[in-house]
Amino acid sequence: MTLYDWHNTSWDLRAHPPDLALLAVGAVEQFGPHLPVGTQNYILDAIARGVGAELAGEVYLLPTQPFGTSGWHRGVAGTVSLSWRTLMAVVTDLVGSLLTVGVRRVAVLVGLGGAACTTVMPRENSIVKTAVRRLNYENPELDAIWVQPLTVAQPELNRLFDAPENDVHAGEVVTSIMLHLHPEQVGEARVDHVPVRGIEHCNALPFASLCSHGVWGRPSLADPDLGARALQAAIDGTVRYIEEAFEQLASIKGRDSRQSQQV
Amino acid sequence: MLYDMSATTVELQAAHIDIAVLPIGAIEQHSVHLPLGTDWLGVRALARAVAERLARESSVYLLPALPFSLSQCHGAMPGTVWLKPETLANVLRDLVLSLHEQGIRHIAVINGHGGNFVLDDEIRELNLTIDDLVVIQGVSRDASDGPGPTGRVVGGDIHAGAGETATQLFLNVELVRPERVDYVPPVGREFLDYATMEQIAPSGVWGRPSEGTVEAGERALERAAANMARDLLRAFAEIEAIRRSSAP
Repeated sequence: MTLYDWHNTSWDLRAHPPDLALLAVGAVEQFGPHLPVGTQNYILDAIARGVGAELAGEVYLLPTQPFGTSGWHRGVAGTVSLSWRTLMAVVTDLVGSLLTVGVRRVAVLVGLGGAACTTVMPRENSIVKTAVRRLNYENPELDAIWVQPLTVAQPELNRLFDAPENDVHAGEVVTSIMLHLHPEQVGEARVDHVPVRGIEHCNALPFASLCSHGVWGRPSLADPDLGARALQAAIDGTVRYIEEAFEQLASIKGRDSRQSQQV
Repeated sequence: MLYDMSATTVELQAAHIDIAVLPIGAIEQHSVHLPLGTDWLGVRALARAVAERLARESSVYLLPALPFSLSQCHGAMPGTVWLKPETLANVLRDLVLSLHEQGIRHIAVINGHGGNFVLDDEIRELNLTIDDLVVIQGVSRDASDGPGPTGRVVGGDIHAGAGETATQLFLNVELVRPERVDYVPPVGREFLDYATMEQIAPSGVWGRPSEGTVEAGERALERAAANMARDLLRAFAEIEAIRRSSAP
């Protein structure tokens, strides 16, 4: 594989047309008293780069789209949010512009996901699902997919952590990964807080009214070694998902799958 | 009391509506044996059954079911018509705002078509930006297939399968054709985000319609309506309680 990004020239990409573009969609939002508001972007940067390095073929890694739909944390200091209409337009425009330069395969990393999520509905930035659908329906030459890295790392997360399904926000999984990646950015005030109920009302009530501490999980259990392994599991799970999905899509759409086999 | 579009505005004003119920259907291909209006016909029946239960202790305004929604996933299969996601969201927003303007603060959206994911995004935005409004989507707890250990949901009864066939056998037996094609694609449910139904399942089915029976249809509708009505009432009450306790 060869990984291309914003350090490359347009002429590099012209000489080596990418088989696949990788776009992560992150967020700037409150992550409790101990993690920076850019937590999701820092982790997605690392995952996307790791995924790009492991995939076969020529991969074009885009910079992480730093803003997402953070309305759940609306009004909490540091949170900056797009409406879903805006995020849908952003993803549609970016994938559309990739198509104009001949990139027909795009994998979108949609926030982080988690051990309690499915591959059917993204937890963060959920409108990306709808944007990807429409792009595929309206552009028959395109294969765009979306994936949440921690969701497809579920089996490994369940081995590494005690009850990762209770880690909804700023809990032990992301705190561990941040301790591994950027320990200097992780504060000491790691207060555990797991509300007994309320997640089912997440479309009706702001996060702060369900969980005033800004944390939904057990960051006191975080550990940098666990973080390193969780990060690798997220990268491996994402690579596996992307490879399998494109292979299955090639068969469903009757495409020549050799493009993905190039090394 | 249950009110619908057969009521007059004078009656609705006197009724002080507690909850409005907005059903959303779709007009789209449903394989060889079910009519294009399957989702619309199904959700009309479900929403009325839910509204009747809600109306035992509340004043309820049941709206006519929106016939059209996000059916672009069926591509060019004849008879299918679709709205764009923004269009459906704008219709939902306009209807909710016009109800809110006349003092209705609790709105239950009952969705009859699986592809309408944008409803969640718009409902979240409405709830988080309008203080005294609660919009909830009724959840049908009849779905039997949960995620496996990898979070993937493979298989299942997604479209024109046993569930929808059973419902239509119960509601509109004269509209159900005798043919059945069973097909469960070997991919995750999210592949409908990546390819059209026509590409994934050219027979227009994702499930096992041959297993649908009229008895199962009757039971499922009854159970779905009872559970949904109970869950909606509980959710409205819990959300109001949390709002009161977290108010500044």
